[in-house]
Amino acid sequence: MKTKTPSWRKTSPASYFLLASITFLSIFPFYWMFVVSSNTNAEISKSPPSLIPGGRFLIVAKKVMSAEGVFFNHALLNTFIVGLSIAIAQVMFSAVAGFAFAKLDFRGRKSFILFVVGTMMLPSQLGIIPLFMLVKNLHLIDSLLGLIVPALVTAFGVFWMRQIIDAQVPNELLEAASIDGASVPRVFFSIVLPIIRQSSFVLGLFAFLAAWNDYLWPTIILQSPQHFTLQVALTQLKPMYGLDYALQMGGAFLATAPLLILFIFVGRRLVSGVMDGAVKG
Amino acid sequence: MRTSWKAKSSVAFAALLAITAGVLVAPAPAAEPVTITIWTFGDVIQRQLVAEYKALHPEVSLAIKKSDLDPLNGTNMVTACTSKTGPDIVAVEVSYSGYWRSYPKCFQDLRQMKTSDANASAGVAAGLSASDIKKNYLAWRWEQGVAYDDSVIGIPTDVGGLEVAYRVDLFKKAGLPTDRVAVSKLWRTWDAFITTGQKYLTKLSPADKKSGKAFVDNAGTIYAAMMNQGTEKYYKNDGTDAGKLIYDTNPQVKKAWDTTIKATEAGIGSRIGQYTSDWNIGMNKGTFATILAPAWMMDYIKAQAPDTSGKWDIADLPVSGGNQGGTQLTIPSYAKNKQAAYDFLTWYLAPEQELKVFKTYGLFPAASVLYNDPALLDYKDPFFNNAPVGQIYAKGVLQIKPIFEGKLQRAIDQAIGAGLGRVAAKKMDSKKSWEQVLVDLKKVVNN
Amino acid sequence: MALLKDVQGSHKPALTPWKKKSKKEDVFPGVRSLNGRWGHLFVAPFLIMFLVFGLAPVIYSVYISFFKWDPLGGSEFVAFRNFSLLLHDSDFWLALRNTFSIWALSTFPQMFMAIGFAAILRNTRLKGKSFWRTILLVPNITSVIAVTIVFGQLFGRDFGIINGILDFMGLNRHIDFIEGIIPSHSAIATMITWRWLGYNTLIFLASMLAIPNELFESASVDGATKWQQFRFVTLPQLRNTITFVLVVGTIGGLQVFAEPQQLAADGGSSKQFLTLTLFLYNQAFVNNKYGYAAAIGIMITFIVIIISAVNFFITRKISNDGTR
Repeated sequence: MKTKTPSWRKTSPASYFLLASITFLSIFPFYWMFVVSSNTNAEISKSPPSLIPGGRFLIVAKKVMSAEGVFFNHALLNTFIVGLSIAIAQVMFSAVAGFAFAKLDFRGRKSFILFVVGTMMLPSQLGIIPLFMLVKNLHLIDSLLGLIVPALVTAFGVFWMRQIIDAQVPNELLEAASIDGASVPRVFFSIVLPIIRQSSFVLGLFAFLAAWNDYLWPTIILQSPQHFTLQVALTQLKPMYGLDYALQMGGAFLATAPLLILFIFVGRRLVSGVMDGAVKG
Repeated sequence: MRTSWKAKSSVAFAALLAITAGVLVAPAPAAEPVTITIWTFGDVIQRQLVAEYKALHPEVSLAIKKSDLDPLNGTNMVTACTSKTGPDIVAVEVSYSGYWRSYPKCFQDLRQMKTSDANASAGVAAGLSASDIKKNYLAWRWEQGVAYDDSVIGIPTDVGGLEVAYRVDLFKKAGLPTDRVAVSKLWRTWDAFITTGQKYLTKLSPADKKSGKAFVDNAGTIYAAMMNQGTEKYYKNDGTDAGKLIYDTNPQVKKAWDTTIKATEAGIGSRIGQYTSDWNIGMNKGTFATILAPAWMMDYIKAQAPDTSGKWDIADLPVSGGNQGGTQLTIPSYAKNKQAAYDFLTWYLAPEQELKVFKTYGLFPAASVLYNDPALLDYKDPFFNNAPVGQIYAKGVLQIKPIFEGKLQRAIDQAIGAGLGRVAAKKMDSKKSWEQVLVDLKKVVNN
Repeated sequence: MALLKDVQGSHKPALTPWKKKSKKEDVFPGVRSLNGRWGHLFVAPFLIMFLVFGLAPVIYSVYISFFKWDPLGGSEFVAFRNFSLLLHDSDFWLALRNTFSIWALSTFPQMFMAIGFAAILRNTRLKGKSFWRTILLVPNITSVIAVTIVFGQLFGRDFGIINGILDFMGLNRHIDFIEGIIPSHSAIATMITWRWLGYNTLIFLASMLAIPNELFESASVDGATKWQQFRFVTLPQLRNTITFVLVVGTIGGLQVFAEPQQLAADGGSSKQFLTLTLFLYNQAFVNNKYGYAAAIGIMITFIVIIISAVNFFITRKISNDGTR
């Protein structure tokens, strides 16, 4: 049945203006990063600073890539490996455990999920020193594994998956399958996983993004330049005292650019994933 | 066929001869490849010298990790020492020397190390321990690398020094003398510096004043400058390792505080934080006419405000020389490649190399033997109106006396800095702010 | 560790915002026929990793909160001294004030804006829907460090762009975003809002789109205006979403760390930037007082739990009272 569009559904010019403003504000910092990195420091220190890009971006980019101790390509690869590993691992671990919390009955289920949620309220800075000693005893200092292993599971990931599976996988489907004689693992792999594929992708994406931008733990763990991830490599660009705006913004821009490119491809999926996760099935 | 005893022994003898000859003639095994890991910040470890060392020693690779200063000299070093894993060399900035001097167990005593002959051809003789090279360096800078148990934990790279960088053109506009000798005479005391500042302010137009123009970039820098001109800071050497805390009774502290407050309240500072974007812009716009500048800041000014080239000059600091910044290179006790690290370190810090670093980066050498070297003394900087910066800074650093530094030095500096900041931001008056400082310090010391 | 809440510096992404099951009904949501030991097996991998890497460090930290511990020095058992010192420490109360202030400034305006933008975006006749929605997520992918450098320039007291705009508008005063207390909190709140507004807008948009059209039709048949429809149809349906965005936002918002640390690592001269987690971090890693820091961590956890619970129950109550 076709419903008449209520009159308030026409979009006013004011609304478009607001949307344009929000778009401008969202993009402006990236644009600004580009402007700063393509001008000289002296240009930026003028007031008002130049608002248009200069011609130096390629020069600065080259400087960043060849800067001592940066090994940009290595860092890019390392960051990618770490991000991908963490994303895949978190999705797998969280899906498996989330499925258990959502659909299986076992002793301690209720109290455990509450406990897991409770730990999300603990400040993470607290655990750095003991975690470092733990990682050291596992001989994972200065290795990418030292970044990946502690991040394999998160309370948040399990909680998210539990909600997703609860919402998107109807009990009837699982009942029917088990009546047909399917075992629990079979049910999980053949029925549940395909249904939650979209949302899993989103969880993985967010885990990837978080790993990409993480700086605190990697700077503590990684020690040799060839093992650096991008954020740590960027700190190599800092001069002795103060800031070298052009160089650092250039580095930041180059480190964000792959994400922007990725975003062009998966942005829409990310949006639908966020929105799906927000609505009851 | 029966081999005769004679034949057997000749064979044996020949074999022995052959083996010996082989051993003697065979080439000495190639130098073992070794990787020296270095943790540093900024430009302390200079790229060109690294390349030079690699050319001298192809088997040595230097893996350098740069970090922000505070995590590096703080968390990272603490974690490394507690877990006993870490690099072979760590750069420690002087603000942290008070702290690390109280933990000699985290460092290799460099008096126990001796240089090998690896760099003999490059000018560093073999068999030198820290005690042997001590004489090449500025005494009070050397002290900052000596732990409380007298072990030598670090050797100095550079010394910040402190002089006054001033804008010749702005001084001229304000009717002040412009020649650096005359300018140095203007402010033999800190009070005279403040008075000069006030005179400068009277010559500013109302529009200038409104846009925030003032005499010095930040009056708060006066505090640190004055504290380094004394003989005691926050601790008294009472024969124990830790020393006695005297921050609340040392008259030098009160004097530095009061003078800084006086300068702040006279309005001679533009209240801009150093290294903020406002500061960089301010340099270009002439928002302030003077900066208390260590030697390494000159390069920074050149990079941020190249259009002001030739408009600056360097004059003496009031009272006597001062210091801001400087680094020691240390070898942690848990380092894996101590000998290789020591060889590199002694080469890198040899006067010859420190001179090279000065020429490229403006880091003023702590190797005081250079202070008689014409290469240093004749060095003039065109950006600073051809001031003989080598001479000026050398004179300044030679006037400084060693100060006993204690473990909580940096924390105390920060609390006092915050106190001065509150007064500058007009959040509290001087008396209340000082009381707050005392409350904060009590927590730092006791908690 | 790539924990979202630490990296992004504040709120976590909102979770599914439907009604939490009340304690009375213990309806098992799963499938009876799939029981057995599978539950434990499936949870085991997560459980093991979590215990080792997530929990053990925390337990250790709780343990050392009863000690005065300097990792390079010695340790000394002090029982509850750290906690009593903490309650008497004016810095703790300052950090509490700052954290709440930043939380309020970054949560509530953002919520209003998110709902407002969602309302605009829900219009089916909007041109370029997909584009607007995608752009909203862009701020979320930047690193905190890059953002603070950019915003640092924006907020400069003398020459920053914002103050430049004020000049341009003819106002003579500059705002000191570093020294001022509310201005500095606003600066942090702005950065947080910038990062999360788009995300939360999408959450609200999804919830709005799920409201059945019939409700609007019957309201407009009854003669309700556009604004009345928004107030009496849209908003009530959003109550659950609001609850969850609020609760999750609180958990993250009370732990803001990266932005204040990048702007003023020591907390600022009047400690205006000192948030609870920055306070913890500095006590541990700058002052080397790990025992004290651990005590702070435990206090933070309690505060977060209490405030989240309060948030939850208040919005539940409003939701229950207000439904027609």
